Amino acid sequence: MSAGPYNYSYIFKYIIIGDMGVGKSCLLHQFTEKKFMADCPHTIGVEFGTRIIEVSGQKIKLQIWDTAGQERFRAVTRSYYRGAAGALMVYDITRRSTYNHLSSWLTDTRNLTNPSTVIFLIGNKCDLEGQRDVTYEEASKFAEENGLMFVEASAKTGDNVEEAFLETAKKIYQSIQDGRLDLNAAESGVQHKPSQPGRNPLSNDQQANKDNCAC
Amino acid sequence: MDSEKDIEKEHVLSKRLNKIIQARIENDEETINAFKQLSTFYTENSLQARRNLRSQIEKRSLDINKQFLSSFLEVKNSFDCIYNDIADMSKSIQEMENRLHNTKTQTKQLLQQTSILQNERKKNIIQQNIVNAFLDRFQLSEEHLHILQGGKEQLLTPEIFSVIDRVQKIHNDCKILMQSGLQTLALDIMEQMTLYQEAALERLYRWTQNHCRNVENPDLTELITQAMLRLQDRPVLFKYVIDEYCICRRSKITDDFVNALTRGGPSGNPAPIEMRAHDSQIYVTDMLVWLNKAIAIEKQNLSLLLMLCTKNDSNDIITDSLAVICEGICQPLKMRVEKIINVPSQASVLYSVVNLLRYYKKCICKIVNKGLIQETLQELQENSEKSFLATLQNQVDSKLVRVEAPPRDLSPTLAITNLLAMLRDILSTANMSEGRETDMVKIAQTIMEPLLRAVNEQSSRLPPTDMAVYMLNCMYEMYTCLSLYEFMDDRLERLEAQSDAQIDTLTSEQAGSLVANLNLGPIYTILQDQSHGALSEVPGMEPSNLRNFLEKMDYLAAHPDSALLQQINLLTSSKHKKSVQKRSFDVLLAIYKQLYQAVLDPVNKYDSPHVIFNKTPDELEKIFS
Repeated sequence: MSAGPYNYSYIFKYIIIGDMGVGKSCLLHQFTEKKFMADCPHTIGVEFGTRIIEVSGQKIKLQIWDTAGQERFRAVTRSYYRGAAGALMVYDITRRSTYNHLSSWLTDTRNLTNPSTVIFLIGNKCDLEGQRDVTYEEASKFAEENGLMFVEASAKTGDNVEEAFLETAKKIYQSIQDGRLDLNAAESGVQHKPSQPGRNPLSNDQQANKDNCAC
Repeated sequence: MDSEKDIEKEHVLSKRLNKIIQARIENDEETINAFKQLSTFYTENSLQARRNLRSQIEKRSLDINKQFLSSFLEVKNSFDCIYNDIADMSKSIQEMENRLHNTKTQTKQLLQQTSILQNERKKNIIQQNIVNAFLDRFQLSEEHLHILQGGKEQLLTPEIFSVIDRVQKIHNDCKILMQSGLQTLALDIMEQMTLYQEAALERLYRWTQNHCRNVENPDLTELITQAMLRLQDRPVLFKYVIDEYCICRRSKITDDFVNALTRGGPSGNPAPIEMRAHDSQIYVTDMLVWLNKAIAIEKQNLSLLLMLCTKNDSNDIITDSLAVICEGICQPLKMRVEKIINVPSQASVLYSVVNLLRYYKKCICKIVNKGLIQETLQELQENSEKSFLATLQNQVDSKLVRVEAPPRDLSPTLAITNLLAMLRDILSTANMSEGRETDMVKIAQTIMEPLLRAVNEQSSRLPPTDMAVYMLNCMYEMYTCLSLYEFMDDRLERLEAQSDAQIDTLTSEQAGSLVANLNLGPIYTILQDQSHGALSEVPGMEPSNLRNFLEKMDYLAAHPDSALLQQINLLTSSKHKKSVQKRSFDVLLAIYKQLYQAVLDPVNKYDSPHVIFNKTPDELEKIFS
């Protein structure tokens, strides 16, 4: 683990995905700056944020890619899925359409990331209870079915924002401890593993199969 | 007896005779005179005459007696007169004596009085001496008073200070007087001295107020500093003088500044600062240098003015006063600098103005760290920083206003290289400036954020491979530029992470293309599939088919570049290129290894499996690396 000159033991890469306008950049800003950014402009391509957190006494640097929700940047943002140890999938509880697109986001994520990537579902804008369009129960059920962690948060008030990022980190750390996640993968993505074909459009098979067949 | 008598008679006679005979008439003057007299009237020797002689002589004698008598009568009369006179005199004297006597008795009293008076006089003289000594000690002389109070026209002389000291001393000595029991007197004197003191200080105050502005004049320095020392006992007067001083100096330094700006030195040397107003850097430098120097001189003068004043903290007074003095120059300075800041110009020029303002603000604030001047400089600095960033932003925006399509060779577009050159230019300047860290981070942010957005925008219109290559090339260019400077770690980290993501994409594309080229897809799929029996019996896995693949593999090993996507060759960084190449070959190697192990595995029932492979995975790995 190369901590470099900095005082941390791991780097976790996150990616934040979801439809346009669900508040991905605001969530990141709230998490890194602890401030709500009103009038946040559309993200062009990707934005980047870092913060050092502590999990089980370990200092961990989060490198977070905040992707553009606009369809036209999909090609650009795809590149960033690969190295992600955590994916925060965001929808807007006041707009059902953003919820409806979750399955396509999830497919993309599953296809492009490592199977051990922790996917965390965030229902943003929970401060706007009056305009709610997606119930907590519904989303909770969806998360459960797909094995996702889930929380409703508000980038505006900061509710649950911290928790979402920290819980994801805990889960990733847990995977490392359990040996389910190669440290190399956690640090810099899957590129150091000779398991690249797993990411290949030619074969989307689970790596686990491949590992098993090695014997 | 008779005889004897006779004899004796005879003897006497003879003696007489003898005498007569012997008498020599010619020697007897009396006789001669008598004869001379006789000759006057006895002119004829006749009998008659002889007979008459007697009577004649008697007659003459009578006449003479008569004459004598009458003469004597006269004498007697005279004597009588004299007698009377003397008697008168005696009487007068008697009288005088009496009078004298009287006087004498009278004078005695007088004498007594005199002696009393004399004693008193002596006493008085002693007292007078004491009083004089006292006055000397406890009062001011005429001369001193004159010095102290002065006339209307009279100049202040240094003696006034010794007089003031003396007044103070008298004032203090009164305490001794008081202890000796002379309370009233002491109090009176004290009051008087206080009045003098006040009057003197009042005079000093007026004088100082009129002259303080010339404190640097060597003829006055001594007097003024002394005066200030005295005045510091009267805070109000002291403050008035300082106020007056500040007002005078304020208008002077303002006039001087405006003159230096518009008129220059005597006979135009040095030239007026505004002559070079067209060059913002020189213009601002000249103004700030002038001010820095002038303010330093003002401080020196103030220190001189307060040289002897130790009672209060003169540093505070100096700073406060300097702040007031500098008030006047703020407006002209602000007007001019703001004009420069607000006129659109090159960001790099504005940046040097920012740095000049910062540097001189620091210098000037070392001398005076409060008041309008400090606020003005702070404001100017902030405005210039804002204006600089805004200008920079504008410049960047105007360069990126059109989203150009990347060129065919996927190298960064001209706008990007230009902006990076500008970034390098400004960062190099920033690297040497005060507070460079914040600056550099801000500058990098101002240029890099829009730049990255533009690159993303451009890339979003490209196919994945082109996108990754173009992005990598741009990132590489940016990375190379930023890595030259400090404080760019965050940006570099981001660029690196971004590059890594793109390398992943490229690797994936390249590996995919390799697998497709080598026709490895079906083989890989079969290898992953566990459900079949012996591999050699699976269609597509027969040794001949494998050999077909392995030949291609050999060709690739001999010509590793041949199978590369053509875009990979467009990568600027050979490191990126190598990395993509190595990682995609690693993927290939992994499959090769898997295949190798599978073929060698007896379960898969290959005949003479060693013949199929002419290279072990390790050998192949060596070739690829």
